[in-house]
Amino acid sequence: MENSSVKDLMVPISEYATVVLGTGLADAVTALEKAQEAYTASKYQHRAILVLDNNGNVVGKIGQLRVLKAIEPEYDFNDTMKELKKYNFSEEYLSQLRDKYRSELPILKTEQLKVIATKKVEEFMQKPRPGEFVAEDCSIDTAIHKMVAGRHQSLLVTRKEKIIGILRMADVFAAVFHEIRVFDV
Amino acid sequence: MRELEKLYSRIVQRVNINLRELDFDVTPFAGELIPPDQMTKFYAFYGITPDHPLDLHFNHSALAGSYFLGKCRIKNSLLYKSDIRGDELKRKDQVFNHGDFEIPLTTDEVIAIDDSVLVKTLVHNFSHDPETAEKFFIKNTLAMDYSNIHGAPSDGCFLGPFATVDLTTMRDCAIGCYSYVQAGEINHLRTAPGTIWVNSPGNFNFLYSYPTEALAHYVSFSPENVPWGILFDFIEARKDAFQRVFDFVNLDAIESVPDTASLDRFAVVLPKTKIEDNVLVAQRAYLENSTLGKGANAQENCFIINSHLEGLNVTAHGAKIIDANLESGVFVGFNSFLYGKPESKLNIGKGSIIMPHTIIDIDKQLEIPADHLVWGLVRNNKELAENSIPLEQLVNIETSFTRGRMHFEGQGRMFVKAFQDRIHHILDVNGAFYENGKNEGHAQRNQNLSLNTIQPFHFGEMEGMYPDIRIQP
Repeated sequence: MENSSVKDLMVPISEYATVVLGTGLADAVTALEKAQEAYTASKYQHRAILVLDNNGNVVGKIGQLRVLKAIEPEYDFNDTMKELKKYNFSEEYLSQLRDKYRSELPILKTEQLKVIATKKVEEFMQKPRPGEFVAEDCSIDTAIHKMVAGRHQSLLVTRKEKIIGILRMADVFAAVFHEIRVFDV
Repeated sequence: MRELEKLYSRIVQRVNINLRELDFDVTPFAGELIPPDQMTKFYAFYGITPDHPLDLHFNHSALAGSYFLGKCRIKNSLLYKSDIRGDELKRKDQVFNHGDFEIPLTTDEVIAIDDSVLVKTLVHNFSHDPETAEKFFIKNTLAMDYSNIHGAPSDGCFLGPFATVDLTTMRDCAIGCYSYVQAGEINHLRTAPGTIWVNSPGNFNFLYSYPTEALAHYVSFSPENVPWGILFDFIEARKDAFQRVFDFVNLDAIESVPDTASLDRFAVVLPKTKIEDNVLVAQRAYLENSTLGKGANAQENCFIINSHLEGLNVTAHGAKIIDANLESGVFVGFNSFLYGKPESKLNIGKGSIIMPHTIIDIDKQLEIPADHLVWGLVRNNKELAENSIPLEQLVNIETSFTRGRMHFEGQGRMFVKAFQDRIHHILDVNGAFYENGKNEGHAQRNQNLSLNTIQPFHFGEMEGMYPDIRIQP
């Protein structure tokens, strides 16, 4: 493992679940489900799908949390909270008010879900952030540092400017755990 | 450039320097605020009374149509039709209690206005700031039409039309039009129009925000226009009635005012108005076809029309009551606008509290039950339900409650007590409880008041400015 590099553990883009820009939320969820079914043999399923632009470049990522966030109504209370804070209302009061406002807009309503299903992936995908990239020839050490420091579930593996794969935390963890077990006396 | 214009520009710059952090520029609002020819049109005047120490000091200022009482020092300022009422200032040797501090006063308190423009503004009460117990300061401040600076020292602030800052020291703040703030101390705060905020840290916190569009119907102002809206139209329509009381030096005394009541010589009283014992009618109050029962008061800039006030009613500075019946002890706060109609009266039950800056505008008769707290915009029963609470229910609030656009946190009991104590105090100082020579207040003492006038330069470089004058006993 000492001599392993990122490319030894990454999943190549070609094997990863992808959708293109403009895909609706419903289709994206289907793609995510299919990708997970295809990998049932694996201990660690795909937790995210990648979003590609027309040139096949990775422009975003969608995980289960992103999907849940997308179906949550857009609460229009941020300005209210800001104002209340300005006028010395306590955190306790603000938190109570947030819950109240949220409870007034239920998520799992047919009408609401119909609207949500038409959302496009670009509206809720997570765009790659600085610190989320790692070059294919980097050491696993470097990748671990990046994951821990940035709290990333996965890193985008690059060759020059292009993203060529995903390094998942699950794969890194499995490899590291395997090494540690060798020393278990 | 004439001296008046130079002074005005300098003050506007000073206010802007103070408000630069808020990115608030008063220049567009200040442009049309006071037409220079108005500054020579009106005399200034002051009251002389054996009950209040007299020391007025005017220095390099313009004072058109403004009134002064007590100890006031005005320097490098421009005052237009403003009331600077120093009849509640603290006195030498008095002990001012603030929290755990007992502060003995080494001199009489003075209202000190420096480098400020006040337009139709009321300055009253006393400094509640323990750091400046002997000086109620207002400096580098621009206050627009019908604003109230009530016990609120101010440094580097802007107050929009009909804004009130009450018992609060403010520094570098911009208070939006029709906002009411009572919060002890505020710094670098900018409030949106129609923000009603009453905060006593550790005790309670009340906040209501007017819906922007609805409020604009009543009070509006923008850089491009002079302020407008129903409240301005309402006052403008009655402007001529005030002309007569300011045009004549001596007016015939109005009969049938009891000996225990006081009717200011600069108030407008039109038929058929009835004033009972212990009533106080302040200057620039407007009464028409109304009854003020025993111990009621009508403070500066208030209007009471076609209404019946049963007694012990407080109509605070700038409040307007039209086509309404108020049972005993009803309090109507600063700048409230209770707009009943002849065919749809507003009836308010005993002991109810109408919060400062409340607008009740109805086309159908509306009943506010006894002992209720009412706030915000009320145009029908639905809005009344959303913007009111029985006091009995409010005193049981221990943590918080939210209703409509109103937020409350803290102890309801403390909030109600603070209001009721203050209402009692106002009635007391106004002489509402006077009986057989005891509990004398403004209503009885103001009878011993006479007035003098002072005039500005009418020609030359100093046109509109007043000569430096010191008036002492």
